Amino acid sequence: MSPRTIVATAKKKGLDCIALADHGCVENLPAFHDACKEVGLPCLYGLEATSTEEVHTLCLFDQLESALEFGRTIYDSIIDIPNDPDRFGDQPIVTVDNDITGFAEKLLFAATDISFFDLVPMALEAGALCIPSHIDRDYSGAIAHIGFLPDLPYDAVEVIAKKPPRGVDKWPVVHFSDAHHPSHIGRRFTEIETDAFTVSALREAFIRLL
Amino acid sequence: MKISELAEIGFTCLQNTFEDAELTGGYTSDLLSDVMANLKEGQVLITLQAHKNTIAVASLSGAAAVVFCHGRAAADDVLEAAKAEGIAVFSTPDDQFEATVKVAHALA
Repeated sequence: MSPRTIVATAKKKGLDCIALADHGCVENLPAFHDACKEVGLPCLYGLEATSTEEVHTLCLFDQLESALEFGRTIYDSIIDIPNDPDRFGDQPIVTVDNDITGFAEKLLFAATDISFFDLVPMALEAGALCIPSHIDRDYSGAIAHIGFLPDLPYDAVEVIAKKPPRGVDKWPVVHFSDAHHPSHIGRRFTEIETDAFTVSALREAFIRLL
Repeated sequence: MKISELAEIGFTCLQNTFEDAELTGGYTSDLLSDVMANLKEGQVLITLQAHKNTIAVASLSGAAAVVFCHGRAAADDVLEAAKAEGIAVFSTPDDQFEATVKVAHALA
């Protein structure tokens, strides 16, 4: 998925704002930023962080620099297992022109040593929108791996099915594509009313979904 | 105990392209990071995690076979990945404890 492919596909699908959230790595955010700016597509910068419990959690920023700083802390916390490209695929870092400048060395879907219970406040404190991913999936989601959705101050919870699971009424429910391939882009999305795609405006817009 | 003998303790073989080696033991875990850190070469992995990353992790760790518990269905891409890696895949309605006990008895 080259940066311009992502942006062009998102435009074609009619998305008004997109986020890049690679597993455990923020090094592709500068290229993503450039590609979005080229066409004036509003975007968020983030990553999907993996807690010790292997719960995936979206941490989304409206400032590239904040995302880079937070995301590098997360990368440093990933357990030290090198990627094996033959088994897990390459983890390239690219420019906006899709030139490869390097590869993330650690296996990016591996867990960090940060508990989900610490990760959520860490992300919020760093200024991110914090949204547990696919909470209704039978793997890598909070309910699957912790047994329930802990009562933490998430900005929203991301759900795959149209209907959210029981017991999540207190949080706004959002749907995102979780795209791992260009054809996935826009397969799920969330409609909100907002006058800006900033963390604070989105936080308020999510609350209005309740 | 040979890998194929997992079928004799009631597990259903879902992927049978593998070299039928002796199992060196077993490892039961649902956290892939834990599997990567602790599973030893030639062991059978007993887990709930019936997705593609499980196969990649099993392969990286040198697992000989994988048993998906609670009757979790394995998607085609999971079985294809296992076939490419030569890792046997079994399924059982047992939970992880029951499956582990059966394997432990068979290995004893």
